[in-house]
Amino acid sequence: MTHFAFDAQITAALFDKDGAVFALGDGSVRFEDGSYNEVHDGAVLCAALHPSGEGVVTGGDDGRVIWSRKEEAGVLATSAKSQWIDAIDASAETKLIAFSSGKTLSVIDATDMGFRRDFEHERTVSGVAFDPKGRRIATSTYGGAALWYARIAQQKPTLLKWAGSHTGIAFSPDGNFLISTMQDAQLHGWRLKDSKDMRMGGYPSKVRSVAFLSDGRLMATSGAQGAVLWPFVGANGPMGKEATEIGYDEGSLVTLVAGQPKLGVMAAGLSDGRVWWADPAGQGLRFLKAERGAAICALAMSPNGQRVAWADEDGNAGVAEA
Amino acid sequence: MTSTLDAPASAATNGKIPVTVLTGYLGAGKTTLLNRILTEDHGKRYAVIVNEFGEIGIDNDLVVGADEDVFEMNNGCVCCTVRGDLIRVVAGLMKRQRPGKPAFDAIIVETTGLADPGPVAQTFFVDEDVKAKTQLDSVTALVDAKHVMARLDDSKEAREQVAFADRIILNKTDLASEAELTAVEQRLRKLNPLAPITRAERANVPLDQVLGLHGFDLERILDINPEFANPAHGEAGHVHDEHCGHDHHHHDHDGHDHDHHGHDHHDHGHDHSHGARGHAHEDDIKGISVSVDGPLNGQKFTAWLDRLLGEQGQNILRAKGIINVEGEERRLVFQAVHMILEGDLQREWGANERRWSRAVFIGRDLDEAAIRAGFESCAA
Repeated sequence: MTHFAFDAQITAALFDKDGAVFALGDGSVRFEDGSYNEVHDGAVLCAALHPSGEGVVTGGDDGRVIWSRKEEAGVLATSAKSQWIDAIDASAETKLIAFSSGKTLSVIDATDMGFRRDFEHERTVSGVAFDPKGRRIATSTYGGAALWYARIAQQKPTLLKWAGSHTGIAFSPDGNFLISTMQDAQLHGWRLKDSKDMRMGGYPSKVRSVAFLSDGRLMATSGAQGAVLWPFVGANGPMGKEATEIGYDEGSLVTLVAGQPKLGVMAAGLSDGRVWWADPAGQGLRFLKAERGAAICALAMSPNGQRVAWADEDGNAGVAEA
Repeated sequence: MTSTLDAPASAATNGKIPVTVLTGYLGAGKTTLLNRILTEDHGKRYAVIVNEFGEIGIDNDLVVGADEDVFEMNNGCVCCTVRGDLIRVVAGLMKRQRPGKPAFDAIIVETTGLADPGPVAQTFFVDEDVKAKTQLDSVTALVDAKHVMARLDDSKEAREQVAFADRIILNKTDLASEAELTAVEQRLRKLNPLAPITRAERANVPLDQVLGLHGFDLERILDINPEFANPAHGEAGHVHDEHCGHDHHHHDHDGHDHDHHGHDHHDHGHDHSHGARGHAHEDDIKGISVSVDGPLNGQKFTAWLDRLLGEQGQNILRAKGIINVEGEERRLVFQAVHMILEGDLQREWGANERRWSRAVFIGRDLDEAAIRAGFESCAA
């Protein structure tokens, strides 16, 4: 396991083509080999893998979207009025990057610096996600979600309404379902072909992350004392099905989960600082970090599922082999 | 219902960032006060959350605009409104905090004149992430002596801001006469008998009366002195205390035809006006003080309080109490923001301390007689 001790909050962990990358609250982006770029004038609030697979795009509280790769960084966009960039996502398929600030969703093209779209919402945007093909973008706000075509300048979005505060959004790997995390400790979902609502509840705390596994047949979620897994099979997805829970531990909560959509393995970070890796269909569960400490606040799984990057609220981070 | 006379509010030493909420309408002096807080040489750094992004005039490194995103949340048994933007902004601000070396020592949330302080305060009680990292320190209302009466007349929000506050700063006192100030304070005390009123000119109130008040720390509820138990300065029955900032021999009683006999005004039957507002004026919000000179049955009281807040929590803005629980050596203290109740057993009663049970409820359209009867029915 490689260990790091940073002097700032780690706000995101990802893997690019070279290895683990951490984005920090002091505005820097740190690479696994120890190199780093000091890029933002403030904290990094959100991060995504750059569409090229090289480096990361980060959104900061300085209102800037910056691409960092080893020894190189550049500002790709800024928000109007330099408002905080709250959420970001990128598509390797279409090379687009989408980010939100305030009530605005903005889209830029990593291959065409002249391209930009700005889409307004009625309430503040809390989450941004590309659909698997990279052609549509979903945003979460208070009151539900909106679906936009990434490139069309003038459009009315498809609105998916559900009362409550939606704090994040994700597509299923087949693009048929949209999932939102909610302020009141539950998940909501929509089957996109007919906008049918679904609800996944029973969590003791807010769900901060979801991760699809096994070609989208399972969705792992945090927010409970174990990782809660929802089956997504067939046209109904999780509707009418019950979730299973793995790694239950009474004394802690799973704060984050990570996976790779095509693989059958997942990782979980806990509120007591531990990290485990598991193959839900196979045998058992292994602690990659058994040592307790501050809560895990960032987690990522490498593309081959064999390495896990983690970070805790005390500024410690590491990359562990599964 | 919350039925939670459970975990105590945390002390300042628990590492949580204190949050001061500043309310007040445009022109009351919030910007002046904010800038004083930010520029005065005290070595502390503040993150300031303002309503309009780029609200001019605030001179600080860390000013964030929030868009007053109010929504209703169902948090188990408690239904309340919260500020979603504050949850998001606080989470974002906390990303700047360094382990062991904070980027800022406190957060100040400035609200607009039309803001309902309820959702702001409630946000700090209902979101688990915000609660884990921050601690509401106080809600401080700024009013300006010259215009506050008119504001209180025409704005329900202005009355609510006063009623909700832990502390009221009566600013621009240089622009009003002593008689006007007296009348203002009298009205403010009727709206909110619990919050101390501090007079100021150009927002020059000492900062230790605005920051670090521990207003929601149950450990700090030492006594409850609702100010109507002591009528405002100039009224019949007034007893001078440390809140009187001036020499009473010079106060101006328009229309009074009584003699001054030192401090004793008890024999007056008043039926005349004290200036423009007059006795006839009744605000929709007021404070109700209840007491029992002895212990209450703990279970009865808890049940009664839970039901009261559950049924009328929307109308009850703030509540505070110190209760002598039968069979318990420690004082039970509680405070509530609408339906959100926090209570705990505090220190033991002192050997010579008067062991009485008392509470104050500040709200609108409250049935005073029913509340009093209900409280008294809990007597042991």
